[in-house]
Amino acid sequence: MFKLWRIAIRDLGRNKRRSALTLIAVMMGLALVIALHGFEMGAIQGAVETNIRVQTGHVQVRGESYDADKVSLKWEDLLEEPLGLAAQAQMRAEVRAATPVLWASGILGTVEESVGVRVFGIDPPSEMAAPFREGLVAGEFLAPDDRGGVLISQRLANNLGLAAGDDVSLLINTSGEQPDEATFTIRGLYDTGLPAFDEATIFLPLAKAQAFTRVGERASAVVVLLHEQEDAAAVAAALHAPGSDVLTWRDLNQLLVEGMESAMGMLYMMYLIVMAIIAVVVANTLLMSVFERTREMGILAALGMKGRQIMTMFIIESATLGAIGVILGVLLGSLGVYYLATEGVYLGGDIDMADMVSADIAYAETMYARFQWADTAVLSAVCWIIMLLASLYPAWFATRKEPIDALRAL
Amino acid sequence: MKVIELQDVTRNYKVGQVETPALRGVNLTIEEGEFTAIVGPSGSGKTTMLQLMGCLDRPTGGRVHINGQDVTRLNPNKRADLRKETIGFVFQFFALIPGLTAYENVELPLLLSGAKKAERRERVNELLEAVGISDRARHRPDQMSGGEQQRVAIARALATHPVLVLADEPTANLDTENGRQIMEIMVRLNQETGTTFIFATHDPRVITFARRTVELRDGRVTDNSRHA
Repeated sequence: MFKLWRIAIRDLGRNKRRSALTLIAVMMGLALVIALHGFEMGAIQGAVETNIRVQTGHVQVRGESYDADKVSLKWEDLLEEPLGLAAQAQMRAEVRAATPVLWASGILGTVEESVGVRVFGIDPPSEMAAPFREGLVAGEFLAPDDRGGVLISQRLANNLGLAAGDDVSLLINTSGEQPDEATFTIRGLYDTGLPAFDEATIFLPLAKAQAFTRVGERASAVVVLLHEQEDAAAVAAALHAPGSDVLTWRDLNQLLVEGMESAMGMLYMMYLIVMAIIAVVVANTLLMSVFERTREMGILAALGMKGRQIMTMFIIESATLGAIGVILGVLLGSLGVYYLATEGVYLGGDIDMADMVSADIAYAETMYARFQWADTAVLSAVCWIIMLLASLYPAWFATRKEPIDALRAL
Repeated sequence: MKVIELQDVTRNYKVGQVETPALRGVNLTIEEGEFTAIVGPSGSGKTTMLQLMGCLDRPTGGRVHINGQDVTRLNPNKRADLRKETIGFVFQFFALIPGLTAYENVELPLLLSGAKKAERRERVNELLEAVGISDRARHRPDQMSGGEQQRVAIARALATHPVLVLADEPTANLDTENGRQIMEIMVRLNQETGTTFIFATHDPRVITFARRTVELRDGRVTDNSRHA
């Protein structure tokens, strides 16, 4: 085998231009696939993590009859003792934070116009409020005992011509399904970088939200954040109790997860097409090489090289070329992923994300790639194997010629 | 000892529906250490005979024995092994591997036969010295003259200590001086190593080097004579 490898390596160096062109084809194709995969997976994982961070948490405990689409505030749909549930969840080692939240729908109005909003009643010092606390761009954050303050996004404030310190009216449905209205002062403005979310979401301190909607100390859900995303199913199972419904991030982001899976299906089809193009280039190159080297194969056969050795020699050539191409492709693809991971791709601004997706999916304005080492290893191995398979026909073709026929090419 | 024995060998080629005989019942024996010229005009069957002797082709009829072994019905792998171990080839168009240096071309049969590195180095240097082109060891075929390339081909043919070297028109693409030098090298190596040399030619100047001449016409042996 070693001697065949030596001969094959020498052959690769003989037609440097052809070897280089094949290498470039493999390298560019694989780099494209790796960079695209890194970007798509990064964008998807980023969207899921953002959604978990700002909206869903890793696990949610809800009342069994709670209907999230209707944003129900009926007592029977809400959690009776959310603080006790949060404290129980908090005792688990996997749990980073657990906090009650109350969701309601309302209409935020100024003198001139009004807009439909989702009202989040949150505990201001809780970890669930951290993205908005950290994203404060004007004014101050809500205090737990604030009875007249509201937090809105800068984007919404710009749309309505508002600033921190201005008063707004908030019309909200209550648990008795009777609307109530009150005036609030905008304490501060936040910006999460998630256009669809920011435009539709305002915050009240949990206690004020509970009082305003007349639900007592009830909450829509207890949102649980974990140290590790993988622990969601185990924690959900542990928190399950009669009368409650426990959902994991996967259930809560079903639309996003399904979208991810169908998008990945399309991407894998594209990867296959790119790999097939690589395979055709490799097969074509090797076939040309076989035609050009007919006389050499005759010489090698005359020197005693067997058909299977000639076939092995071509496969080794392809395997070596493939291995170098794959290494270069991984390097170039990783550079592409690095660039997309640090610079990102800006999708916000002119694109109205709210028109494209539901506000329940918190898409960021800029999407970033992520290195996918395991997937890169699999894609590289598949690319290399496809190169080997592509070399089989030319290699077999090379062995079909009888030595005497090959020598006639002399 | 008989190195080659052809018994009533025929070889027909089919071109379309027409079958053309290249050899018609040839009987021939070549003894160990002989220096034999196969002569005759173009199309007389010289190359076909060398190809059968070199196990590159199989006869349509009759039997071919090499070193006492009937090779007529050997499978392709066994024929390849036999070529590797027993036979060296020198072709009209030099037939060196283009990207390899003179050294590497001579080394190739030794690599195929699994010789160790030190053994390969010693043998290749010895052969390049023997054919007088040690100074061209690192040159590729396109950097050498025809005469130099044919010397490399002779060195390669002898690399594995074959019993038999078959040379098909070895001087056909060389000028008179280079042709003479090549023949002198082959004669010397035949005398020094005892290797059997058989070469096909229609060049009268080359025939004079042979100690035995086998003449072919229309696929039949018409003369078989030894010279002093």
